[in-house]
Amino acid sequence: MHRRLITWSVAGLALAASVAGASAEFVLKGDPKPAMIIFSQKNDGGWSQALDEARQKVEKELGVTIPVVENVPENATAIKPAVELFIDRGANIILGSAFGYSDAFKELAEKYPNVVFLNPAGTTNGNNLMSYYGRTYESQYLCGMAAAAASKSGKLGFVAANPFGLVNWTVNAYAMGARQINPDATVTVVFTGAWNDPVKERAAAEALAEQGIDVIGQHVDTPTPQIVAKEKGIYGTGHHRDLSEFSTASQCSSVWVWDRFLVPEIKKIVAGDWESQPYGAFLSIAQGGTDIACCGDAVSEEDKAKIMAEREAIMGGKHVFAGPLNDREGTERVAAGAVLDDGALWGMDWFVDGVISQQ
Amino acid sequence: MEFLVNWLANIPGFALPFALGALGLIICEKSGVLNLGAEGFLLIGAMAGAGAVLTFGGYPLLALAMAALASALLSLVFAVLVILLRVNQVISGLTIVFLAQGLTSLIALKQGWTNKAFTGLSSLDLGPLSDIPFIGPIVFSQDLIVYLTVGLFFLAVHLMGRTNAGLRLRAVGENPDAADAAGINVTAYRFVAVLIGALLLGLAGGYLTVVVSKIWVDGLTGGRGWIAIALVIFARWRIWRALGGAVLFGCIEALIPRVAAIGVQVPQYFVLMTPYVVTFAVMVWTSLSSNTASDEPGALGRPFVREERH
Repeated sequence: MHRRLITWSVAGLALAASVAGASAEFVLKGDPKPAMIIFSQKNDGGWSQALDEARQKVEKELGVTIPVVENVPENATAIKPAVELFIDRGANIILGSAFGYSDAFKELAEKYPNVVFLNPAGTTNGNNLMSYYGRTYESQYLCGMAAAAASKSGKLGFVAANPFGLVNWTVNAYAMGARQINPDATVTVVFTGAWNDPVKERAAAEALAEQGIDVIGQHVDTPTPQIVAKEKGIYGTGHHRDLSEFSTASQCSSVWVWDRFLVPEIKKIVAGDWESQPYGAFLSIAQGGTDIACCGDAVSEEDKAKIMAEREAIMGGKHVFAGPLNDREGTERVAAGAVLDDGALWGMDWFVDGVISQQ
Repeated sequence: MEFLVNWLANIPGFALPFALGALGLIICEKSGVLNLGAEGFLLIGAMAGAGAVLTFGGYPLLALAMAALASALLSLVFAVLVILLRVNQVISGLTIVFLAQGLTSLIALKQGWTNKAFTGLSSLDLGPLSDIPFIGPIVFSQDLIVYLTVGLFFLAVHLMGRTNAGLRLRAVGENPDAADAAGINVTAYRFVAVLIGALLLGLAGGYLTVVVSKIWVDGLTGGRGWIAIALVIFARWRIWRALGGAVLFGCIEALIPRVAAIGVQVPQYFVLMTPYVVTFAVMVWTSLSSNTASDEPGALGRPFVREERH
């Protein structure tokens, strides 16, 4: 998974900076026949499982069968035969799963102009190819609120993989959300340098617990930080899917709800009024993609109401990174009355007040 | 002070997989069999350990034994390849890694072991000894395997250096033709060395899941087998030096998250590269120091064919 994510921030910048190609309306020939290819196991408990669950919901909503193939590595020699086999069998909507599929999908999209390609976490777009990702800072902001609500000490911890834009924005939003509930809350971040290493995640979570931190958030792939939180008798918040499945310590999770995006999108494709977007789709809670599973027992009804009210506000158009906003060094990052644009989000390399982390 | 105690108390747990892995590799390679399959043996041990705990609903020590056995079972394939069939040892080792990656992924998937948290093995509580300030948490509050590993190192040094069997094993790795002429069964010694090496590697892998992570996910070992291989080269096939290297890695791995958790602001990528910088530094230092003798076995990586002229 890390290979996919490592380049997201870079890719995001390129995405924002690249010049838009004109895209024409796409017309699907025949009945919709979607097929999904997944880069890892579909029951990985996180990212891929969320995609597979969305696939099953799309099947039900649209009344179609969506075949899926797992463990297709992120290189063109593996991706192309898998996709072409589906296309030979009549598939005309190909659903991807990884950043590493971006380039192969671009080539395939040009070779098969009558097939639509939709790829989460991708960076390439075209007439019949669109990448999509969720605005996870919205959901992690709400989880930050839940974390502060569950915390007694106001000292929150966060286990993250690597300090890229898309990780940094979750950390910043988490701290900003926490300060909505407790203005003195701090978020101490430990970067593990790996996406899928339970050994390092456990070490990070234990080190945080030793410092008197009583809620641990996360942006890594395994539920390990939540399990450690339970062992230590403290709380946590999850990522990817509702991690209360693994640990009763989990009070809130930032979850993927791709079906809320894919169902209307595929309906549009079938109806013939779908158009790809030059920078791909960057989905807010209102557009589907990301949301929260909230809240656990440690969050009071009053705080829960506050969280849900903020969720409504965000769905109504409130931007988490709205000005005036300074970073922790005091430099102004967003001017009063402005909001942070998407390019600056993907390139985020600064932290807000309340975040305690390495540089 | 509390920071120091927490840090030092966590070192053995981090150092142990490297230490046991390196010890297993040294025993195997002293017989002349190059073992690049370490990552594979760790993986199969890690998965078997997790699977055993989940299946039996506890019994972590039994699970660790199963981890070692599973790895030994896989090593039979490796031993047949490199010792009996005399396949290239580099390629066979890499094959084991790929085989183990696929096998562990498949078995864990079919058995539903992925992402299931379990209790695992906890640290010992030696009563009053564990309560001694400073020393108690560091020395007397480790898990059973840590103490066992210390014993294993003494045992290995004794067996390799001071017994006839150890001498024969080293002779087989140094000059199999001469050993054969002296009446030593080269094939048998190499088989046993590969098996013992795999048992220790499997135990190291099992430790990663049963004691440390208490969960199995795909590819859990995260390249630690390769670090063990590097450690052996860096220790020049000497057992105590390998232990020293493993402890050094353990110190750094236990330190990294703690430095971050107390909020010291140092560049993150610099911190993450420290284990490798330190490795480089020690390698440069050892090669510059006067004692440059290496214990690398003379016939390492060379298949033995009886009565063949070289």
